[in-house]
Amino acid sequence: MIRCEHLTKVYNGVPAVEDLCLDIQAGEIFGLLGPNGAGKSTTILMLIGLIEPTSGACFIDGTEVATHPIEVKRKIGYMPEDVGFYATLTAEENLDYSAKLYGMDAAERRKRIPDLLSLVGLEGVEKAVGGYSKGMRQRLGLAKALINEPTVIILDEPTANLDPQGVADYRRIIRETAENGTTVLVSSHILSEVSRVCTSAAVLVHGKRVAGGSWNDLAHAGGNGDVVIRVETRSPMPEIVHPALISAEYAEGHMTARLVASADIRNEIADTVGSAGIRRLETEVPDLEDIFLSYYHEEATS
Amino acid sequence: MRSTGLRVIAGKEFNDHLRSRKFHLIFGIFLVIAIIGLVGGMVNYQEQLEDYNQAQSTVSGDDTMSKSYYSWKPSMLSAFNEMSSLMTTIGVILGIAMGFDLITREKESKSLKILLSHPIYRDEVINGKALGGVAAIALAMGIMLVISLAVMLIFGIVPNFEETVRMFLFGALSFLLVFSFFAIALFMSTVAKDSGSAIIYTLIVMIVLSSLLPIFTYGSVYTAVFGQPPDPPESTVIRYGGYGGTYVSSAVSVSDGGDMLEPEIDEAWQEYEEKSRAYWEQRQAVAAAVSLISPTSNYQTLAYAVTNPDMARMMLSSSIFEVAEMDDEIPQEGFSALFALLGEMAKNIAALVITPALFFGLAWVRFMREDVR
Repeated sequence: MIRCEHLTKVYNGVPAVEDLCLDIQAGEIFGLLGPNGAGKSTTILMLIGLIEPTSGACFIDGTEVATHPIEVKRKIGYMPEDVGFYATLTAEENLDYSAKLYGMDAAERRKRIPDLLSLVGLEGVEKAVGGYSKGMRQRLGLAKALINEPTVIILDEPTANLDPQGVADYRRIIRETAENGTTVLVSSHILSEVSRVCTSAAVLVHGKRVAGGSWNDLAHAGGNGDVVIRVETRSPMPEIVHPALISAEYAEGHMTARLVASADIRNEIADTVGSAGIRRLETEVPDLEDIFLSYYHEEATS
Repeated sequence: MRSTGLRVIAGKEFNDHLRSRKFHLIFGIFLVIAIIGLVGGMVNYQEQLEDYNQAQSTVSGDDTMSKSYYSWKPSMLSAFNEMSSLMTTIGVILGIAMGFDLITREKESKSLKILLSHPIYRDEVINGKALGGVAAIALAMGIMLVISLAVMLIFGIVPNFEETVRMFLFGALSFLLVFSFFAIALFMSTVAKDSGSAIIYTLIVMIVLSSLLPIFTYGSVYTAVFGQPPDPPESTVIRYGGYGGTYVSSAVSVSDGGDMLEPEIDEAWQEYEEKSRAYWEQRQAVAAAVSLISPTSNYQTLAYAVTNPDMARMMLSSSIFEVAEMDDEIPQEGFSALFALLGEMAKNIAALVITPALFFGLAWVRFMREDVR
């Protein structure tokens, strides 16, 4: 549904996005992850036709964005990071204006707008948008992104200003929307948020895609391959010696240890410390945050 | 195929203007002052009409007086003179207030990115904003004309067809003036980063066009730049004060050799007169060129032609005596007189149309190249 082919955008000789390739299937909730300045927003602006790529191309539902921007914009619902509306108009008036720009007739607008306001929890709010909190504006932004019943929704940092209830509502809405066959692209630098809602993701660093796929793929491909093993015994354990062992930290009178090895050597450890009475012997589940930081650092050092 | 964006955006902008507090305030002040000015103008007109009727009965049969200023029949449209000067101040401010934040407000509220994410062409945004502004200005001018007509009717003055046409022309000229400054403000809104900078830039342009440029046509500044007018030869000089400067009559020496007095042309005077004429013609050409750049100058010139044709004819000539010369060429009354006069001022009309078109064109180009990162 969303495809990028060697997408590149250069500003004043500096590449903001470089040779980016993506292929996102229909109905998928896809995360675009990366630190600030990674090129996520630039990628999104090219996908919604607001800026033209320097080279390469992107397609929405098979239509090239740069050559058919109007056709593509009809299929897209977009919420920018710094979502802004007309301060003197109410939420309903803002959505009505947006719906008119999509060419929706009056009957359609009358039905759709109250439904959306109810969906994002802004029904009955009569004050002008100028009096809204950032979170309320973000909710309205989500409603605006859904106004034209798009086949693709693109959300840039969607939970940045939401309170916990707002985040829960957002997750529910996004999941329900994806279940109805809509493709969702979420850009964020908040890993935990993306991992809670997205089925797969790509990691961008300095405009380049450094990793991508399902969460399992990303977790296994991430890090440097070392295995962290935690050991606890009832009595002091002997020193562990193994060619794969990289480092060992003992504590509590040699009754606990944190071992880093280049391979999973739990069997060999069990043989060595078995006489001390093993209470715990397990590998440490890799921390997703650490894995992604390792992606960022790898790219930065390279 | 074009989208429906232009119509929708223009409609929203038009409504925004009509709902805007600054529009209400400025236009409200304008209307109040305009009505007061019109009422005063109507009272003056009635007094002038009485004076004119009395003067006509006194000077009937006197050819010289019948071509003098005092023989001009007062026009009910002279009551619009007050309004034309009002238009060059409050009207201009209204245009600026309506245009200076049209694009910067979108940037400041961060709504531009969302607006452009709709299935609309980018030019529809700027065209729609301009169209909405034009419609609001046209409505304001329409309201002004209707109220003017109402004030006249209250005074028992019913304009004839020609006067009605002149009134509408006055409205159209006023529209062009306000639109000129609206377009300048719109351009500045596309250039500036925020509304504060946009209004400062617009005010600077307004001051340059309305106050700074006309200074170069003033006597002292002009003489400082282009030198003093030629001095007359030492003999008896008869001076006549006329519009735009001082004029010197042809001096003659008179010989007392017969029954008839035969004038002899003084060569020094003839030379002086030629130099003087060239000087004043050059000065008038500079003044005219400078005035063409200023929408307010063009407006005032044209507004005079429409509401006060006799005065405008005099302004067109280099001396009050040339009015008599022009009388042979320009019809004195009716539409032919009006259009002949406007024909003489074609450059001003073109300048008043080109100024908003130019600034709107610049705003259009700038907005189309706007970086929406």
